[in-house]
Amino acid sequence: MDNKKIRAALAEISAEGDPTLKSLKLASVCSSLWAERGIQLVVVGGSAIEILTEGAYTSGDLDMCHSTAATLPIRQRQEVMGLLGAKGGPRNWQVAGMYVDLLGPVESFARTPFRRVQGPFGEVLLMKPEDLLVERVLVSTYPERNETARKCSKILIAVILRGQIGVDWAEVKRLANLPEYRNLPECKKLVQEVADEIKLKSPLHSH
Amino acid sequence: MRSNSKVPCIPIEGCLSYEDWLKGRRARRESSNLVAPSIIRRKTGPHDRRLKKLFKGKRGLPFTRTENL
Repeated sequence: MDNKKIRAALAEISAEGDPTLKSLKLASVCSSLWAERGIQLVVVGGSAIEILTEGAYTSGDLDMCHSTAATLPIRQRQEVMGLLGAKGGPRNWQVAGMYVDLLGPVESFARTPFRRVQGPFGEVLLMKPEDLLVERVLVSTYPERNETARKCSKILIAVILRGQIGVDWAEVKRLANLPEYRNLPECKKLVQEVADEIKLKSPLHSH
Repeated sequence: MRSNSKVPCIPIEGCLSYEDWLKGRRARRESSNLVAPSIIRRKTGPHDRRLKKLFKGKRGLPFTRTENL
């Protein structure tokens, strides 16, 4: 990505007033620049859920992890983010009117691939919805009931059940049975609740 | 399971085009709104100080209304 393209991207992202579009665009340019240096970035957590669901959930920061074994050395991180006029670092930066947090290596248990959406400046990898679903249901229950996480789980389930995100339900079940989560009953219950609300069948009960 | 097959799906395999992602935004928001109120952004969070400084007392930019997606 040459300097002219980077400047154009930066101007477009800075002017963007829609928070979800702004996140996707910023993830797109960051992913491209890091990929040129051999590092694959993945949008994770609430930022990924927002791009997947439009659930009006995320705040003004974009959370990303690296899926490649290594990340960039600190010096190189500062240089690459400097190309975008970023302030701060070396793990979080203010860029184009929002924040980017680089959280370290991605934590995923699902065997499905990261989801891929083409952004205006390059491809964006998104955390696997199977992981997001099981993790968010866990957070909605433990260590205490968390209403925001519960609503977030419900929107993710609703968008999946309506066929707008492809999900491997057998994999959801396998993850929920892993020692890392052990929350299959909670997942089944919430998926059933959402399915009932939107008058669809729960696929988790048929697996 | 699919209620509206014309809405582009974010697939397990392959890459969804930017145009198709944009095209599906409204339908995804409508699906979300079936089970949760329109805005579920947390009222507080660990980065409140920096967010509120950047977004004039808010935790992020305002979300685009469903009808404008």
